Amino acid sequence: MSDFLYFFTFQDSSIAFVVIGIILLGVGSAYVGTYSFLDKKALLGDAISHAVLPGICLGFILAGTKNPVYIVSGAFFSGALATFLTSWLRKNTRLSEDAIIASILSIFFGFGIVLLTVIQKSGNPEMAGLNQFIFGNAIAILEEDLWVYGGLAVFIILSLSIFQKEFSLLVFNAEYGKAIGYPMGLIRLIFNVLMILSVVIGIQAIGVVLMAALLITPGAAARFWTDKLGNLVILAGIFSAVSGVMGTYISFILPQMPTGPWVVVFLSFLALISFLFAPKRGVLSRFISRRSYLKKTHQDHLLKALYRALEAGKENLSIEEIYEAYPFQKKESDRSIDNLISNGLIIKNQSIISLTPKGKSESKRIVRLHRLWELYLNEYMNIAPDHVHDSAEKLEHILTPELEELLENRLNYPKLDPHQETIPRDHDEL
Amino acid sequence: MINHVESPIIEIHDLTVSYDQSPVLWNVDLSLPSGKLIGILGPNGAGKSTLIKAIMGLVSPSGGYVKLFDKSLEEVRSRISYVPQRESVDWNFPASVLDVVLMGTYGKLGLFKRPGKKEKELAMECLEKVGMHGFAKRQISELSGGQQQRVFIARSLAQNADLYLMDEPFAGVDMATETAIFELLKQMTAEGKTVVVVHHDIYSAVNYFDWFIMLNLHLVASGPKETVITEELLRKTYGGKLNLLTKVSELIRQKEFNPLKN
Repeated sequence: MSDFLYFFTFQDSSIAFVVIGIILLGVGSAYVGTYSFLDKKALLGDAISHAVLPGICLGFILAGTKNPVYIVSGAFFSGALATFLTSWLRKNTRLSEDAIIASILSIFFGFGIVLLTVIQKSGNPEMAGLNQFIFGNAIAILEEDLWVYGGLAVFIILSLSIFQKEFSLLVFNAEYGKAIGYPMGLIRLIFNVLMILSVVIGIQAIGVVLMAALLITPGAAARFWTDKLGNLVILAGIFSAVSGVMGTYISFILPQMPTGPWVVVFLSFLALISFLFAPKRGVLSRFISRRSYLKKTHQDHLLKALYRALEAGKENLSIEEIYEAYPFQKKESDRSIDNLISNGLIIKNQSIISLTPKGKSESKRIVRLHRLWELYLNEYMNIAPDHVHDSAEKLEHILTPELEELLENRLNYPKLDPHQETIPRDHDEL
Repeated sequence: MINHVESPIIEIHDLTVSYDQSPVLWNVDLSLPSGKLIGILGPNGAGKSTLIKAIMGLVSPSGGYVKLFDKSLEEVRSRISYVPQRESVDWNFPASVLDVVLMGTYGKLGLFKRPGKKEKELAMECLEKVGMHGFAKRQISELSGGQQQRVFIARSLAQNADLYLMDEPFAGVDMATETAIFELLKQMTAEGKTVVVVHHDIYSAVNYFDWFIMLNLHLVASGPKETVITEELLRKTYGGKLNLLTKVSELIRQKEFNPLKN
C-alpha cells in the first residue's frame, strides 16, 4: 500500500518523469496504431517492432554505450529498411503480403538476436541491460533518455493531429485522394515514418517483442465502444496510457519484472472487458438482445395460438392446451403468459386464457404479417405454398410497419394467403 | 464505328494499359464531346473501369496518352471529379456521411487545412441534391448500398467539377435510387457538365445515355446512340472475348518484360 501511495503521489520526481513519458508514448502509439488497425495493416506494426532489434544492437556497437541518439537512429533505420523491403517485395514479387511480413519479421529479429549475443560475448561492461530492449523496463529509463522518447512522442501526436484529414483519406479511400491530386505516396511515407517512430520510442519501455500490442490493441479494444473516429482515437489513447502506467507500477514494485508483458496484460484485460461488455457490439449486449428477441418470439407464438383458436371458434385456451402446444417449454410458457398479462394483451381466469381487445389486435397483426409474407413468397418468388411457412415463421417478428404497408400495396390488399386462410385486418370481426 | 469530334473534352490517343504485364486495354483511340451523358458499356473484364482509371491517372498506361480539355491531367485536375466503385472502400470505417461528403472539398482546400463552415454548407447542399440531407450525422456503416452510392455522388458533386467520371454508380442500387441518380445526371448535363458512366446493364443503358463507348479489351465503338447501338456492334462487344487477343495477352504475360511499354 505504501508503495502504491509512493508511486501514484509522484513524490519521487523520477517516477513522475517515467509516468509522463509512458503516457505520452502510449497515447502516441495508440494514435498511430488506431489508423494502422483501421487500414488493416496491424501485422506491419508487428514486423516493424521486431525489425528494430538489429538496429538497436548496431547503434550500441557503433556508440559503445547505450547512447539514446545512436540507439534511436539505429532502430529507426532498421525499421525503415524493413518497411521499405516489405513494400518493395510486394510490388516486385508474387509473394503474398502475409508471407512477406512473416519472413521480414523473423529474418530481422533473428539477425538482431545474433548481434545481441555477439555483444554479450564481447564483455563490454556497458552492455548490461541491453536485454531490456526485448521485453522493456520502464523504471530503468534514464531521465536524459526520457527527453528523447517523450519529445518524439509529442512530435508523433502533433503530426497525426495536423495530418488527420490526410490520414483518414489514406485509410478510407486512397485512390480518391490520388484522383483529387493529393500526393498519396508521400502521405503514406509520412505515415510509415510516424509508425516506425512510435515503435522506436516504445522499445525501452515496452520492448521490441510486445510493442505491436501497444500499437494495435488499444484501437481494436476502443472500436467496440464507438463509431466516431475522434472518440476512437481518444479512447484508444486512454486505454494505452492506463495500461502503460499500470505496467510501469508493477515494474516499480517488483524490480525484476519487465514492463512490456505487464502492459500487455492490462491492455488485454481492457480489451476483454470491451469485447464482453461494450454496448451494442459486446458479447453480453448481443446475448441480451438475442434473449429478448427469443422471448418476444415465444410471446408472439402464444398470441398466434390464441388467435387460431378464435378462428376455430374457441374463445380461449386452457393452460394445459398451451403447455401441450409447447412441450418441454413449460417455464418459458409461464413467463410469456405473465409478460403478456402485464402488457394487457391476455387475461387469465383461473387456468383459462383469453385475448384482450388489445391482444386481439396484436395477434391479428402477427398473423397478418405471417400470411402476407407467405403470399409474397408464393406470388413473387414462385415458392410452392407448402414451402413458405418456415420463412414466414421467422419474419413475422421482425417485419416493420413500413414493410407491411409495402407488402399490402404490392399484393393489392389480398384476402387469402396461399393456404386459403383469411389474412386478418384490424377491423375484421371474428 | 468510332466517331471523332471537334474540340473534345476527352481525347484518348492509342491508349494501352497492362496489369502485371498482360494488356487489359488495347490501343483505345477516341474523343468525346462535352455536355453529354456518356455510357461505357462492355462485358465483365472488358476494361471499363481501367479506362476511367487511366483517364484519371490512377493506372499508368504502357502506351498512348490522355488529354482533358486539351490539356494534361495535372493542369485541369480541379475540373474533374472521380467516383470510385462503391465496393472499393471499407464502409465500416468510423466516419459520418458528412465526413465523407466533405472529402469532396479537400481538393480545393489543399493539404493541412480543415474544412470549415463554408465547406460544410456546400456538403449539405450536395447531400440535399441526392436526397440524403437527413443522413448527414449518420455513420456510413449504417447505410444501404443505394445510400452509400448516393453519398459517393454527393462527395463528387462537392468538387464542383465540369467533368464527372463515375465507376458503376448504378451497381447494387434499388430501382428508385437508380431513377433518382439518373435524373440528377441528366440535370447535370443540362447544366453543361459532362458525365461519363461505367454501366453494366445494356437494357437500361439504351434509355440513359446520349453517347456510348463500347469496350471489349479494345474499343468496339464510340459514338452517339443512333449510330452505335446496332445489333452488329452489340454482338461484337458482348459476343465473348476475342480469342486471338486473349491468346496474345497470355503470350505477353509469359515474357519476362512487357514489349508494349514505350
